[in-house]
Amino acid sequence: MKPIRYKGYIIPSILVIALAISGFWGFGQYKYKNDYKLLLNNQYQRMFFDMKDHVETVQVSLSKVLVSESRVQNSLLLSQIWQQSLYAQEKLSQIPVKREQLGKTQKFLNQVGDFCHAMVKNQLEDRPLTSEQRNTLNELQGHTEVLTEELAGVYENIMKGNLTFGTIQGEGDRKLKEADKQMPDMQLVNFEEEMAEYPELIYDGPFSDETLNAKPKGLGTKQVGKDEAVEIAKDFIVDKNVTNITMFPEGEQNDESASIPAYTFSIATDNKDELETYIGVSKTGGKIIWMENPRKVKENKLSVDQARKYAEKFLKEKGYEGMEPNYSLKYDGIALFNFAYKEEDVTIYTDLIKVEVALDTGEILAFDASAYLRSHHERDIPQPKLTEREARDRVRLDFDIQNIRLTIIPKNGRTETLCYEFKGKYNGENFIVYINALTGQQEQILRVLKDENGILMI
Amino acid sequence: MKKFVLTVSVFTLIFLSVYSIYISQSVENNMEMTNIQAYADGLFTLDNLAWGSTGQDVKNVQWKLLQWGYYNSSVDGIYGAKTYAAVKYFQSKNGLEADGVVGPKTAAALGITLNAPPSATKPESEETSNNNGVGRDDNVYLLAKAVHGEARGEPYIGQVAVAAVILNRVEHPDFPNTIASVIYQPGAFTAVSDGQINLEPNQDAIKAARDALNGWDPSYGCRYYWNPVTATSKWIWSRKVVVKIGKHWFGN
Repeated sequence: MKPIRYKGYIIPSILVIALAISGFWGFGQYKYKNDYKLLLNNQYQRMFFDMKDHVETVQVSLSKVLVSESRVQNSLLLSQIWQQSLYAQEKLSQIPVKREQLGKTQKFLNQVGDFCHAMVKNQLEDRPLTSEQRNTLNELQGHTEVLTEELAGVYENIMKGNLTFGTIQGEGDRKLKEADKQMPDMQLVNFEEEMAEYPELIYDGPFSDETLNAKPKGLGTKQVGKDEAVEIAKDFIVDKNVTNITMFPEGEQNDESASIPAYTFSIATDNKDELETYIGVSKTGGKIIWMENPRKVKENKLSVDQARKYAEKFLKEKGYEGMEPNYSLKYDGIALFNFAYKEEDVTIYTDLIKVEVALDTGEILAFDASAYLRSHHERDIPQPKLTEREARDRVRLDFDIQNIRLTIIPKNGRTETLCYEFKGKYNGENFIVYINALTGQQEQILRVLKDENGILMI
Repeated sequence: MKKFVLTVSVFTLIFLSVYSIYISQSVENNMEMTNIQAYADGLFTLDNLAWGSTGQDVKNVQWKLLQWGYYNSSVDGIYGAKTYAAVKYFQSKNGLEADGVVGPKTAAALGITLNAPPSATKPESEETSNNNGVGRDDNVYLLAKAVHGEARGEPYIGQVAVAAVILNRVEHPDFPNTIASVIYQPGAFTAVSDGQINLEPNQDAIKAARDALNGWDPSYGCRYYWNPVTATSKWIWSRKVVVKIGKHWFGN
C-alpha cells in the first residue's frame, strides 16, 4: 500500500510547488512593474515641475524687461528668457501627453525664446527695443501669465493624485493602438484657446511666422496641368525609354498646405536593373522640384572630379546657367554636389541646387532644386560699402586666409545679406568667416570638416 | 561540500585581487601616458622668428608692419630681406634692441602672440584635420532607424518622405528642436513606442535618411503622416493632406 500512497502525493505536491513558484514570480513581476511605473512617474513629475519653474521664470523676467532701462540688464534678462523658455519647451516635449493638446503651447514657448534671442541680438547691436517690440513683450508676458495659472492648476491635480503621467506605460504595452487615447489629459484648455487667437509674431528668426509662411519666389506664374506636368517629367529624364508613369494621389489640400504645390510621379523605364524613378513637378511654373532614382551603385569607377563634370553638364542641359559647384560628399557609390548660383561674381548661397552622380556610369541619380526655387529671384545686389581690405581688418589677425570673395548668405532663414567670405585656417582647423559687406559686422562663422568622403560645414 | 565551498572562495579571492591589481595598474599607465604627453607638448616651444622663418606667425608680423607703415612688400609669410629691414626699423623706432629678430618682446610690441605652430611640425593637417568627433553620421543612423521602424517596405520615396517629416518637425516651433527629441517625443511615433526603432536599419533606410538630411523632401514640408487604415486618433483626420505615398498620407 505504501508505494501507492506515495505516488498519490507526488503530482499534487509538484503542482503546489509550481504554483508557489509562479506566485512568487508573478509577485516579483508585479513589484518590478510597479517600481518601474513609479520611477517613470517620478521622472515625468520632475519634468513637469521643472517646466513649471521655467515658465514662471520666463514670466517674471518678461515683466522685468518691461521695467528695465539698462541695455546690459536687458540683454541678460532676454537671454535668460530665451534659455528658460527653450528649457520649458524641451521638458514639455518629454511629458507623455496628447500632442495635439499642447502643440500651440510648444509653439508659444519656442517663439518666445526665438523672439527674445532676436531681441538680444538687437541689444548687442545697440538697437534699443522699439515701442512695437515692447508691446509684443507685454503681450507675451500676459500670455505667460495665463500659462502659469494653468500649470498651477495641473500642479494641484498632480499633488492631489488625480493625475499621474506613468499610467500609460502600464497599459500601453497591452493595447498599443490605444496608447494614444490613454495619454493623460493635461489639458491647458484656456491657454490653448487663447493661443488660437494669438497674432502672428513677426521678427527676424527661424521660428517667426513670416519665415514659416514664406512663399517660393523662383517658380514663375504659369499654371501647369497634370498632362503637361507628365510631359515635363518625361523631358527631364530624356535619355530613357519610359514605359509607365503613375501619379501619387495628391491630397485634397495640396494647394494650400504644401511648401511647393506639386504633382509627384513614379516613372518606370525599360531598364530592368532599375527601380522606379520619382519626380516632383511644381504646379506653378512647371519646374522640376526634385528627382530621385534609388538605383544601387555597385562600383566606384569615376573620381569626384569626373563626376562633377557630369553634374555641370547636366545642369547646363536643364537650363541652369551660372551654377558654381561648392562642396561635395561621397557615399555609397554616389557623389553629391552642392551648386550655388553666381551673379556678377557674387556667390548666392540661398539659391542652391543639389545633384547626385552615380560613380559607375556618371548618371544623374538625384536632383533637388527646392532651395533654388524657394529663393531665386531677380536681385539688386547692392554695392559693398566696405572694401575687401577694410573687411579684412575685421577678421582676426592670425586667421590664415586662403580665399576671399563676395557672397550672399541667408540670415535667420528669411533675409539675405551681402558678405565678404574669408576661407582660411585657425589653429590648424578650417573655418569660413562672413563679414557683412555693408555694415562690417561679423555675420557668421562656419567650421569646415573634411574627411576622405567630402566636406561638411557646421 | 565544505571542500567545494573552500575552493570556490579561494578562487574568487585570487581572481578579485588579480583583477584589482590589473585595474589599478592600467589607471597608473594612463596617468603616466598623460604625463608623457604633457612633457612632450612642453618640448615643442616655439622659436623666435628670424631671417628664413616661414608660416603664419611671419604673416602676422608682416601684416602688422604693413598696417603701421614699416613694411611695404607682400604678406607672403616668408621672413626675407625686406621683412628683416622692416623689423629692424620697427625695433629702433620703438626702443627695442634692433637685432632683426622677433622675440617675445618685439612680438609683444607688435601686439602679436607667437602661437601658430611652425608648418613643418603639423603634417597633413589639410586632409586629416582632426574633427574632434564632430560629425553627423550619428544623426544619419538615428534617423535611419526611425525610417526603418516606421516605413520599411514602403516605396523608397515614401521612406525619404518619412525622414523629411522628422526633419521638418525639427525646424518647426510646434515640435522639439533636435532629431532625437522629435523621434523620442512620447507617443509621436509607433515604432518608438513598440520598440521597432531598435531594429538594425537596412541600406535603403540609411540612404533615405541621408537624402532627407541633404535636403530632399518628397513630403513638401509636411509635419505629419499617418496610415489611414490603422490610424486611431480622430484628430489626425483634421490634418490637411498634401500627398499620399504608398500606405502613408502626408499632411500638415
